[in-house]
Amino acid sequence: MPVKIAIVDDHALVREGLNQFLNGRPEVEVVGTAADGRSAVELAGRLRPDVILLDMAMPGLDGLSAISQIRQSAPSTRILILSMYDDPEHTRAAIERGASGLVSKASPPDELIAAIEAAAAGETLVPGVRLSPREREVLGRIARGEGNAEIAAVLSIRLKTVEGYCGSLMRKLDTHTRAGLVAHGRRLGLDCPN
Amino acid sequence: MTEIRVVLADDHTIVRKGISALLRAAAIDVVGEAGDGRELVRCVRDLRPDVALVDLSMPRLDGLEAVRRIARRHPETRVVIVSVFDDAEYRICAQRAGAWGYVRKDEASDRLIDVIRRVMSGEVCLPVDGGAEETQLDALTPREREVLQLIAEGRKNAEIAQMMNRSVHTVRNHRARLMRKLGVRSGSDLVRVSAERGLIRLGAPPKGLTT
Repeated sequence: MPVKIAIVDDHALVREGLNQFLNGRPEVEVVGTAADGRSAVELAGRLRPDVILLDMAMPGLDGLSAISQIRQSAPSTRILILSMYDDPEHTRAAIERGASGLVSKASPPDELIAAIEAAAAGETLVPGVRLSPREREVLGRIARGEGNAEIAAVLSIRLKTVEGYCGSLMRKLDTHTRAGLVAHGRRLGLDCPN
Repeated sequence: MTEIRVVLADDHTIVRKGISALLRAAAIDVVGEAGDGRELVRCVRDLRPDVALVDLSMPRLDGLEAVRRIARRHPETRVVIVSVFDDAEYRICAQRAGAWGYVRKDEASDRLIDVIRRVMSGEVCLPVDGGAEETQLDALTPREREVLQLIAEGRKNAEIAQMMNRSVHTVRNHRARLMRKLGVRSGSDLVRVSAERGLIRLGAPPKGLTT
């Protein structure tokens, strides 16, 4: 079942090119395109795509506001930022507002497809890191200062399970300490409940 | 009809693949791709394409230098700049480096394909103020560019006619068309505006010229 996507970029050549290219891939189906933030919000509300590919550097309604508004008008639509740069601040701000993550325009096409599929599955992705929905949830709570026992209680899962998530998070984020996890969580903007 | 052979250079891989797909759909043959300036020059050297589409903001040997090298070493390959930047300065630099055309990324793919075809037929497509209408006017044929350069060097119509092996009547027609295309009413304005737009090379006047 192909992932239904929408493409939003103010550069016509980029937008048309992505449309043409992605339409030839069986993993995805392009259901619509838009050239600015406001149209993107409209499109999301009307077509309810699985994933929106959103360019951040657009005039008019800025990318961050577009993310917030799309989350409201189409809560089941995942948002994947298409970025020209690899800016951590950029990434944090986007994820804080509810984006699934960021893909660089310099990535090879297979990586873009993989990112679209991951976002559709509810994963959070930033360059080099993919977190499952549960991992994202746990990391967010750790970043907000919750203890493992507390997390286990709130999520109705076993303490051992929470500890397992801590382990996989430490591995993925390449840190050995809880403080490291807190730092990563805050860096990704997960400490703000969304 | 032989297909136009194109090499495409842009460090944004996804964007490059997209443009490539658009060109293929328009029966333009994308024979090679490059992600940086050095790769681009190698590609052109090895593949000798008809056209090279070049994004200026690439790493490792910047776009303009790559364009200069291609213009110098492989003049049969015509360079069209494809850029997000919309600056007269960039277009002038592109023209001086030897580019034949300049297309912005916020223009539709029809425009890119149109410019590729025009450049292949010998037209220079370097719009100054943006917009297709402007380009219609500003696009100079190679013959017109030749006449313009000679006018800029201060040569009289008779001299130009002799150098180009044409009649004075023809030279006057070219001059008139140039003035119309560039929107000027005098010979000196023609030279001034052309210099501003980077359409001519202004250097020391040739010997024997009386001022």
